[in-house]
Amino acid sequence: MTSVPTRPAPVSPNPGGSDHPERGLRGLRGLKPLGRMGDRVRLPAQPFLRHLVFFVLGAAFFYVLTTNVSTYNDFQIGEIALYAIVLGGLSLLTGLNGQFSLGHGAFMIIGAYTLALLQLHAHVGIVGELVSATLIAAAAGVIVGIPAARLSAPYLAGVTLMLALALPQLSSQYGSVFGGEQGLTTTPPAGPGSINSQEWLAWIQIFCALLVLLLLANLARSRFGRAFRAVRDDEIAAAISGIHVARTKVLAFAVSAGCAGLGGALLAFSTGVVNNGEFPLSLSIALLAAMVIGGAGSFVGVWWGAVALVYMSTWSGSLSHQFSLGTSAAAYLSDAIFGVVLIVAILAAPTGIQGGIRWIGRRAWRGLVGTPLQTAATTALVALAPASSTETGEPLGHRVIPLDGPPADDGGSRCRSAPAGGDDRVSGDDSVSGDDRISGDDRVSGDDRASGDDRAGGTHGETSTVRPDPEHEHDPEHEHEHEHEHEHEERSTP
Amino acid sequence: MLRVDGLTVRYGPVQALSDVSFDARDGVITTVLGANGAGKTTLLRTLSGLVRSTAGRVSFDGVPITGRDPETISRMGIAHIPEGRGVISELTVDENLRLGTLHRLRRAERRGAMEEIYERFPQLGERRNRSASTLSGGERQILVIGRALVSRPRLLLLDEPSLGLAPLVTAQIMATIEELTSGAGLSAILVEQNARGALSVAHWAVVLNLGRVVIADEPSRLGADAELRRHYLGF
Amino acid sequence: MGLFVNILLSGIVQGMVFAAIALGLVLISRATGVVNFAQGAMGMFTTFIAFTLLTHGLGYWPAFVATLAIGFVFGALVERTLIRPLQGKPALNPVIVTIGLLIVLEGAAGSIWGNVARGFPAAFSQRGLVIGTTRVAFSHFDVFIVIAVAALVVGIVALFRWTDLGLRMRAAAFAPEVSRLLGIRVGRLFTLGWALAAAAGALAGLLVAPLSSFSPYYMDLNLVFGFTAAVLGGLVSPIGALIGGLVTGLAISFVGGYIGPDLEPLAALVLLLIVLMLRPQGLLGAAEARRV
Repeated sequence: MTSVPTRPAPVSPNPGGSDHPERGLRGLRGLKPLGRMGDRVRLPAQPFLRHLVFFVLGAAFFYVLTTNVSTYNDFQIGEIALYAIVLGGLSLLTGLNGQFSLGHGAFMIIGAYTLALLQLHAHVGIVGELVSATLIAAAAGVIVGIPAARLSAPYLAGVTLMLALALPQLSSQYGSVFGGEQGLTTTPPAGPGSINSQEWLAWIQIFCALLVLLLLANLARSRFGRAFRAVRDDEIAAAISGIHVARTKVLAFAVSAGCAGLGGALLAFSTGVVNNGEFPLSLSIALLAAMVIGGAGSFVGVWWGAVALVYMSTWSGSLSHQFSLGTSAAAYLSDAIFGVVLIVAILAAPTGIQGGIRWIGRRAWRGLVGTPLQTAATTALVALAPASSTETGEPLGHRVIPLDGPPADDGGSRCRSAPAGGDDRVSGDDSVSGDDRISGDDRVSGDDRASGDDRAGGTHGETSTVRPDPEHEHDPEHEHEHEHEHEHEERSTP
Repeated sequence: MLRVDGLTVRYGPVQALSDVSFDARDGVITTVLGANGAGKTTLLRTLSGLVRSTAGRVSFDGVPITGRDPETISRMGIAHIPEGRGVISELTVDENLRLGTLHRLRRAERRGAMEEIYERFPQLGERRNRSASTLSGGERQILVIGRALVSRPRLLLLDEPSLGLAPLVTAQIMATIEELTSGAGLSAILVEQNARGALSVAHWAVVLNLGRVVIADEPSRLGADAELRRHYLGF
Repeated sequence: MGLFVNILLSGIVQGMVFAAIALGLVLISRATGVVNFAQGAMGMFTTFIAFTLLTHGLGYWPAFVATLAIGFVFGALVERTLIRPLQGKPALNPVIVTIGLLIVLEGAAGSIWGNVARGFPAAFSQRGLVIGTTRVAFSHFDVFIVIAVAALVVGIVALFRWTDLGLRMRAAAFAPEVSRLLGIRVGRLFTLGWALAAAAGALAGLLVAPLSSFSPYYMDLNLVFGFTAAVLGGLVSPIGALIGGLVTGLAISFVGGYIGPDLEPLAALVLLLIVLMLRPQGLLGAAEARRV
């Protein structure tokens, strides 16, 4: 723990510059990313190995699950897996890079139609089909990402919303190519031997999901992942430290769109048909909602979001049956529930399910502090986590982007706004409790309605964090912790 | 007139003001001095209701105003002129001034009150239909002061009115403030970093350091104390 | 020639509708700095309420007025309950909340009234006027649309420009803190901005519904066209919303008429992107570029 990490140069130096809310995508930090992705549990020191363990455990879990449930459940599990891919991409976009999209359904359509058209006109095999779907959707992501990189939250929302509405219409405009309203049919892959085709498809979908999430988790740990975060945290500082901001954002968008394309292609296998009715605007919005529900920036959370996506319609179906609403009402009810959950999540629980779980876990851990059980647990965890893990520059604390800033310090006051949560880190504690800073503490400050300048989006109420001990100064991950110590006085009237 | 008693403001763990007590007497300029970060601006923002105090009381003419919202406090006759950025540059000069008349004057009085301001500050009168964004820094400060005066306030809270202005303009503004308070029933609390200028117009001075009152005394005695000058006033 | 004239006329009518939606977006954006993606859905919902009032025997004009009033109250409620708590929070949060409201309203309308394409009565005849010997695609109801939206825009401009209330609203929008220090009750004005915007949205819903069929989703496309119009106009000025609406309406109409109606949203997207990339301050915007 004493050694200075020997990682590449920090990507997000402590910015001395100003924190200007109207600059680029600063406003997009509303969703609380859950610290970094996939680094919660101290398993093997190498992130890749650690992610591989998740991969293998996940594969084993799903193998046991799928072989023990009905065919219909296999179908649902497969859907969960493919939505996990889409949500993984979306989560990377929002949680890691600070952008977001209301139009990921559009990239799913692109993937789905790519698959259907390839099956119709070319025979490239399932791997070729899926890879093509991913790449073409990613290419579309580049096209959308280039303008998107320059837009702030409301405009980005409008543009991606329009994309989700506009793109499906192309298939009816060019009916001869895309099969019009009926769309195109797809053939699911046939499994070897006597394997149930539904189960085989579910396996393919699960394999893709685990593989993609493995790759995304590694991407998040790579130099690209650090660039994503640096751009999310402070575009100016990122640019100063040599990151090509626009390129980084476009890359994130492309990766995210590629994930959606793959998910769309896998969905086309499940449904057996591709038409634009499968991808309404509400799907795009439900994707965003599911991502928020799961917790932006958490690769574990995406599974919660995917489960919510798949089971919400089932559940609302039975609910509407109970209230003896018509069967057609079920679909609307599930939309409405997603909307309510989205609103409640933003107003009350910005870290999503995964954040909630971490919060509960941390509370439970705190409750144990000082007890013999805690000592034993610490010993056990320290034994499990090799000491070398810290030498790889493993972060000790997590930063959480606060949804609720402290009372906005409207420039006039020279007093820095308060650290809202986060200075309660004890390094030993962190190494076991994971994200220590998804905090209720962030919320104590509430909104200060007294300061009139803090209109939505115009706030400067950011959190400043007490510096951690100097020995971590060079830890690139720790650098993020300082980024809120900004002057707020920059806002000069013209 | 304004009585501040044990005022404490906290931003999280940061104590911006600790147990600040002083009186601003009727018809008098009270200046609040201190270094950057001493809590001067926070003090004014708390007095006008923009910042909520953690503890302590403020009363205005015997009426408690602690915890009231800024709209109410403003309508009671306390005009806060915030540091540097009070002009609404999207509006015209006339509209800016009209905003000052909306709450404390009867409809029939408004035009007359505005004309008085235009007479007092001819540079505003000449530009009344121009966008406020075209004004110079000094003109903006004058517009903001005019907008505060047009509401016929009882107490002015001035946050660094001389900041970034040329010495000549500063002198004009200081003279105006001095002249106004010597007349009918207007008091002022003047926050300044330019301690020398502030002490020359004020009748009472309060020195803040790290959110606490260090000393409160007559300006002449503060100016004479070399130690104090060196430590807190910087001249 | 006849086709050209008809496309032009329907473009103007559509443009006026988009202008009404854009005006709502502008009012809200000015007041609270939020782009209200539920603006269309709120209009949809109040139109369904109007539909229910009409089926229960209320006359057209009483229902019309009642719907605008309901919209007004609805807007105020939304601001107080959903938007106000997010004041001072990052700009993404209100965006997501309005999106959430959008799907809640659509889901609720679908659950309550079902996803059936219905007809909505028009205040006036929808038969095209006869000019000379030819019948053009411009009816009495279209005339009413143009007049109603024009009156709305003029009313809002007059409110802003010539009344103390309008002056307060502008001051509150541009400089909320300074306004509070001047005794202006900024929060109430924000609520008023939302209420007016929602009433404008209710009007837009009532005007659009008779043009084709209406269903829980009939405002989705109108919203994105209205958004395009608002951005074209710079998202701050009512006049800009009107001009943006007309430009968008004509563009949509010509693309739909000459190429294909399915390309209309894509055309609007392209138009929007061009404006955002080349003239982010909008067509009328001042020289000072606004951040997009």
